[in-house]
Amino acid sequence: MIWLIVRISALRLWHNKAELVLTFVVPLVFFSIFALIFGSRERSGETATIKVAVSDMIKNADSQKIIEELQANGTLRFVDADSQVLKDGELKLLDPKVCERLVREGGASVAIVLEESKKEKENQESTLSAKLLTDSSDQVAPKIVSALVQQLLVQKSVAALAKNAQPVPPPNSPALPASAIPADSSAKSPIAFTLPEVKTIDLVGGQKKNPIIAMYASGIAVMFLLFSVVGGGGALLEEKENSTLERLLASQLTLDELLMGKWLYLMLLGTLQTTLMFVWGEVVFGVELSKHWEGFLMMTLVTSAAASSLSLFLATMCNSRAQLNWVSVVLVLGMSALGGSMVPRYLMSERIREVGLLTFNAWALDGYNKIFWRNLPLQSLWPQLAVLLMIGLIFMIAARIGARRWERV
Amino acid sequence: MIAEDGFALQCIDVEKSFGSLTALNGLNLEVLPGERVALLGPNGAGKTTLVRAICGRVRLDKGSIRLFNAPAGSSKALQHLGVVPQELALYGDLTARENLLIFSRLHGLRRREAIRRVNEVLEWIGLTDRANDLVKNFSGGMKRRVNLACGVLHHPPLILLDEPTVGVDPQSRERIFLMLDELSKQGAAIILTTHHLDEAEKQSDRIVIVDHGRVIAEGTLADLIEQTVGTRRQLVMQIYKNNFFASFYTGASESNPLSRVESEVLPGFQYQTSTGGWIKEIDDVAQELPPLLEQLRQRGLVVADLEIRNPNLHHVFLHLTGKELRE
Repeated sequence: MIWLIVRISALRLWHNKAELVLTFVVPLVFFSIFALIFGSRERSGETATIKVAVSDMIKNADSQKIIEELQANGTLRFVDADSQVLKDGELKLLDPKVCERLVREGGASVAIVLEESKKEKENQESTLSAKLLTDSSDQVAPKIVSALVQQLLVQKSVAALAKNAQPVPPPNSPALPASAIPADSSAKSPIAFTLPEVKTIDLVGGQKKNPIIAMYASGIAVMFLLFSVVGGGGALLEEKENSTLERLLASQLTLDELLMGKWLYLMLLGTLQTTLMFVWGEVVFGVELSKHWEGFLMMTLVTSAAASSLSLFLATMCNSRAQLNWVSVVLVLGMSALGGSMVPRYLMSERIREVGLLTFNAWALDGYNKIFWRNLPLQSLWPQLAVLLMIGLIFMIAARIGARRWERV
Repeated sequence: MIAEDGFALQCIDVEKSFGSLTALNGLNLEVLPGERVALLGPNGAGKTTLVRAICGRVRLDKGSIRLFNAPAGSSKALQHLGVVPQELALYGDLTARENLLIFSRLHGLRRREAIRRVNEVLEWIGLTDRANDLVKNFSGGMKRRVNLACGVLHHPPLILLDEPTVGVDPQSRERIFLMLDELSKQGAAIILTTHHLDEAEKQSDRIVIVDHGRVIAEGTLADLIEQTVGTRRQLVMQIYKNNFFASFYTGASESNPLSRVESEVLPGFQYQTSTGGWIKEIDDVAQELPPLLEQLRQRGLVVADLEIRNPNLHHVFLHLTGKELRE
C-alpha cells in the first residue's frame, strides 16, 4: 500500500511536465548560471577587470614607471575622460577632478592619483604617494587596486633607499616598519624611510547613512517587481482557463482594451509594490527616497512598465498557468542572477557582465544606482530609461501579436 | 428591435474548417425576434463552433452571420447579443454584485443605470441577500443563475444559452426555466443549445438539429416526427412466462435462451433487460398489430401487457444522428 502511494505521486509528477521541469531542470539551470558567474573566470583565466582612471601629479620617471607597471597588470583597464576603455599600451593621464567625476558617475571603479607626499621636515626628501578615489558600491576593486599601488610604491621606495644608503642592507633583512624609524633621523645617516602612503577616499558611499542597503534595495526591489508582475500576467491565462475571456470578448470590450487594461494594472501594481519597499527602506533602514523621489518615480514607472509588457508577452506565449509559472521562475531568477539582483555585477567576468546587459535587471539597477548611490542628476538616467522603454515597447508589440490567437480563430 | 429583414439571427451558407476538420459545412439558420429555438446535435456536430461564430469569435471561411442585420462580432451585433456560456464564466473571487456590475459595464451600461439594473437582476435571480458574498462560495445552482444574469443584464434582444442547466438540481433548473420564460415574454429571441432533449421539447418553439456542420432537420417536434419517424411506433410487450416459455431455459442446448426466443419465437423483437419487456418497431399499428397478436397466441405465448409508445425527440434525434459514439 505504501508503495502504491509512492507510485501515485510519481505518476502524477510524470504527467505534470511543468512540475517535472521545476523539480529537475530548474536547479540544473541555476547551478549552471552561478557556475558561469563564479567559475568562468577560473576556467578561462580571465579575471574581473577593474576600470581605473589615472592622474599623475608628479610626472617624473618613478611615477611614469609605476603607471607602466599598472598598465602591464591584466586586471586593470585604463579609461579616458569619457570612461571609454583604452587599448593595451594606450595611456591618457587625467586631471584629478576628471578622475573624481568619473568615479562619481561610475565611469571608473577606482581613480589613482599619484602625488608627492608632504614633507614633514625641511631636510626630508619628498616621496611618492597615491590617493585612491573609490566607489564602495564595488567592494572588491578598491582593495585590489590599493594593494597593487601599495606594492609598487614600496618597491620604488625600497629601490630609492637602496640607491642612497651605504652599505646595502643584507637581502634577507626584514622591511623596516615605519614605527621603527626614529622621527628625527637625518636623510643620509641613519637612513630615513617612511612607508609610502596610499590614501583611500570613498567618494560615493562615504556620506551615505546606510550604504549597503541603499545599493541592494534596488536589486531586491527589481527582482520582486519581476516576480509579482510576471506572475500577475497569469491572470490573463486564468481568464482563458475559466472562460471569462470568451465572455469578455463577447462583450463590447476589444482585445486591445483588455491587454491595455491588464498592462496598466500590472504597471500600477509593480509601481506600488516598489514604492512600498523603498518607503519601508527609508523609514527603517535610511534609504534616501524622499531626497530622490523624482528619479525613483521615473525609474520605477519605466521598469514597471517594461516588466508588465514582459509579463503580458509571456502570458500570450504560454498555454497554461503552470507553463507560465515555470517559464517565469526560470526567466526571473536567471535575469536576476545575471543582471545583478543576486550577485553584484562587479564580481562577474567581463563577458558575463556583457550578457547581463541583455537582462533588464542590469539596466534598472544601473538607473537606481545612479539615483540612490551616485546622486546623479535626472538627465543622466536617459540611457536606462530609453532602453527600458524600448524593451517595454518591443514586448508589448510581441504580446499583441501573441494575443491574436485569442482573437478570432 | 426588429431589423428590416425581420431576422434576429441569420446564418447563410456558413463554412468553417480547422485544418482537415470541417466544423461548419454550409450551415443555414434563421431565427425570428422573440422566437425560442433549441439547438441540438451530438458532440462534435459543430454546435460550439456555431455558438462562437454567432459571438463573432470565429473567422468564417465562407458565408455570413448577421444579428439584427449587423455582422456578427461588430459592436452593434454584440450590443444585441447576450451570451450565457456553458462554463461558469464568472470571477469566483468577486461577489455576485461585483460580477454583475462588471459585466453590465462591459455591455455598455452607464454606471448609474448599471447599479439600478444589478439590483433588479439580483432580485430576479433570488440572490439579493447573498449579493455581497463571493461567488466561489455559492452552490452550483446559484452560480448558474448568476452566470445567466451576467449575460442578460443589458436586455439583449437575442440570447444565446449554451447548456445553461448543466449540473444543477431540479429546483434550480425550474428556476432557470422560469427566468427564460420571463425573458421570452419580454420579447427576446432565445437560442438554447442542450443535450437534455426534454428541455429542448419544453423550452422551444422550434427545434434545430445540427450534425456534420449543417442543419439536418428543423421544425416543431410534430414536424420532426413526421419528417423522420413518421407513423412508426414502438411496441413493448410483457410475455407471461408459462411452461412453453420456460422450456427454452431448461433445454440441453448450449445456445443463449434469449437468443433462441428472439430467433425462434419472437422474430423481430428485442428483449429489454431494464423493463423485462420485448420491443419491436412497427410501421403501422392498425395493420400490423392484430396479426402479430394472433401469431403469438398460436405459438402458445400469453401477452401479459402491451404498450404502444409514441415517438419523442429522443427517437427523432437517434433516428437522425445514429447510435454510434462520436468521440
